[in-house]
Amino acid sequence: MTTKSIANTVYSWVDERLGLGELAKFARKKTVPVHKQSFWYYWGGISLFLFLVQCFTGVLLLVYYRPGADAYESVRQITFTMHFGWLIRSAHAWSANLMMLSVLVHMFSVFFMKAYRSPREFGWFSGMMLLALASVFGFSGYLLPMDELSFFATKVGLEIPAAIPVIGPIIANLLRGGPDVSEFTVQRFFALHVVVLPAVFIPLLAFHLWLVQKHGNAAPPSEEAKPASQRKSMPFMPNFLVKDLAMWIISLNVLALLASIFPWQLGKQYDALAPAPLGIHPEWYFMAPFEMLKLLGLVFSGKLAALGEIAGILIFTLGIVLWLLIPFYDPNLESGRRGRRAHYFGLFAIFALLVTTAIGYWTIR
Amino acid sequence: MNYPFWEIPYLGSGWVIGIISIFHVMISQFAVGGGLYLPLAERKAMRMTDRTAADAWMKQLAGHSKFFLKVTGIYGTVSGVGIWFAIGLTHPEATSTLIHNFVFGWAIEWIFFLVEMTSIAVYYYTWDRIDPKLHLKVGWVYAVVSFFTLFIINGILTFMLAPGSTWLGVAGTGHEASVFWSAFFNPTYWPSLLLRCCVCASLAGIWALISASRIDSDSARNLKIAVVRWSAKWLAPSFLAMPFLFGWYLLMVPSSQRALLTLGVDTIGTGTFSVITRVALIIVITSATVVGVTYYLAYRNPEDFTLSHALAILVLALVATGAGEYSREMLRKPYVIGQWMYSNGVRVPDAIKIDQRGYLAKSNWVWNNADTSYSRGEAIFRGECGSCHTLHGYRPLATLLSGRDSANIRAFVSMLHEYKPDSPYHRFMPPMVGTRQDVDDLANFLNAQVNPPATAIAAQR
Repeated sequence: MTTKSIANTVYSWVDERLGLGELAKFARKKTVPVHKQSFWYYWGGISLFLFLVQCFTGVLLLVYYRPGADAYESVRQITFTMHFGWLIRSAHAWSANLMMLSVLVHMFSVFFMKAYRSPREFGWFSGMMLLALASVFGFSGYLLPMDELSFFATKVGLEIPAAIPVIGPIIANLLRGGPDVSEFTVQRFFALHVVVLPAVFIPLLAFHLWLVQKHGNAAPPSEEAKPASQRKSMPFMPNFLVKDLAMWIISLNVLALLASIFPWQLGKQYDALAPAPLGIHPEWYFMAPFEMLKLLGLVFSGKLAALGEIAGILIFTLGIVLWLLIPFYDPNLESGRRGRRAHYFGLFAIFALLVTTAIGYWTIR
Repeated sequence: MNYPFWEIPYLGSGWVIGIISIFHVMISQFAVGGGLYLPLAERKAMRMTDRTAADAWMKQLAGHSKFFLKVTGIYGTVSGVGIWFAIGLTHPEATSTLIHNFVFGWAIEWIFFLVEMTSIAVYYYTWDRIDPKLHLKVGWVYAVVSFFTLFIINGILTFMLAPGSTWLGVAGTGHEASVFWSAFFNPTYWPSLLLRCCVCASLAGIWALISASRIDSDSARNLKIAVVRWSAKWLAPSFLAMPFLFGWYLLMVPSSQRALLTLGVDTIGTGTFSVITRVALIIVITSATVVGVTYYLAYRNPEDFTLSHALAILVLALVATGAGEYSREMLRKPYVIGQWMYSNGVRVPDAIKIDQRGYLAKSNWVWNNADTSYSRGEAIFRGECGSCHTLHGYRPLATLLSGRDSANIRAFVSMLHEYKPDSPYHRFMPPMVGTRQDVDDLANFLNAQVNPPATAIAAQR
């Protein structure tokens, strides 16, 4: 038997049982629209790639990381004594940040291409859920090194849910494992970070990807308005796939550059009794919500000061709900004026995020 | 010491050379690789049986040669002179040593350079004006002379990393030029030359892809596919040979220098020079990426290959070149000329003399007002530290020494002065040379930067 015939036999055996042929047929038929905005199609793939990097580096970190009282010491060993431990940790932290960035770019590109419109509503909802879970991934992972900065930033961050009336303190205590951030908190955040979140995130991600396969890539309204004969497209296999892979390699390169030239630092070990150091601030992707809450709190000062934070949380939650429900407000190509308003809402959201982030960094003390 | 010091705040004088050099290397190696690309592409077109395809290919090539002439003839030459200007100001002692040894080499280099510039101008301006065979010959002249500019400069560059025992045996006697060829064909010469040849070929392909990406796929589909694929193939030699050549090169680098590469394997600690390991990693990753991305975007998808794809590859190549040149420079530490001259311009055998008579004793350019401990310390800082460090900026001493009090800073400077073989700084930093007074003066100056009087007073309170 030649190598080719062996390969054919093996392929037929697997094909009969798993239906690979149908999959290949589907992939061959699938196309991706080609237009001026095609560039934005890559960001979902880039986000997926960065998530895979995090899974891989996360598992490697898991080998040496010790939650609880030993947390800081284990991260110190990873960063300063293990061979290429610093590289794995830097790649993990940088890919987390890059993933948040690419997810945000992906979300806004979906928004402005109106890809949330019928029949892709579930793609939008699942995507927003994934973003929310990714934020929790970020928040829980940030504490794990237990250095000064992560300790105090988490402490401040957990004061936000604590401000919710009645259930707030209960939620905050549950997350902290007590009234203060301590080694119990690390234990809980660790379980959240490596077990609970992946268990929820991965099936949801699979659902999201399945929806993309089912409905295909949405073309922007300007393209959809064109007659079918004038629209261009490229086959998913192999044209789009090889370009997607090239983008993955470029992303890997950007990640390698950042992780190598700016390795993720480790601050001093936390000291719960010490005063909070200067310049405590949330991660950049939490800066905008943090600052918005702060600003809304100021608006409600004076007699309503006590209600300030609660009102802030309410208004902020309302904004998120509106954002989430946009497919119902602007459901299809015939939305007309509503479509334009949704567009302005998107522009306003970007403006608000950028301005509040800038104010947040400007006013760090 | 014999020359005034050129201080560039924040950026550091080394980066002035670095920025100009990386830019220059990107272009000059394109000039060498592209020198071979042009006649080979022209010959390929001349041999084509389909005359329409051949004419389209020639027209594309003529356009590319204009781009080539502009990039190499203007930016390449200006940045080349810029390097001379910058190294003369930043490392006058080292430049002086190079001139004394290689003046003959540089004379040859300049002749090749003149022929190179003339022949590329003739090549471009005589498209369709002279017999095609003669035009091709002009292209070959350019290819040969541009290769020899690399052949010569490679000898001088590699000499600085590994001058070789023969040259070191006569260094300082005044007879250094008598062992010119030994210094020229030093241990790292051949692997470095072959490595650079591979890089030149890759850059020829990468820059050609910029021109090729602008061919319209709809009106000239076949031409675009042919030119993009042919240009992408120029990266193949790098893909196949670079790992072996890189290994050979490292094998020829003196082991003391090679050891620097492992300093950052297990730490990101500041002041341990771990950065070279990290930057060396980037060379490997980015070079592999350039090849991979070129394969996917250009070779596999020539029709859809756009200018933005080509620019992405060019930027990646710039990163790889930058990382490569940075690592090559860093690999020489603590020397600027291996085993002979420290990176701050102090000759190795002079260190003992300077320890006896003082660092500023022969620095005639230091103005007479260097009469306080602070001003003497400042002059010593500029001379001994300034070629690698700034106060606030690149490798900032104010930050690297922060958290230390005056006694601690003095102890640190003394440690650099004693330069014991087991000192962690011994491998990548030159000794602090001078008298005990010089040590005190430098420590006082640094302490005033790290702990300004106002801070010190506040701390006492």
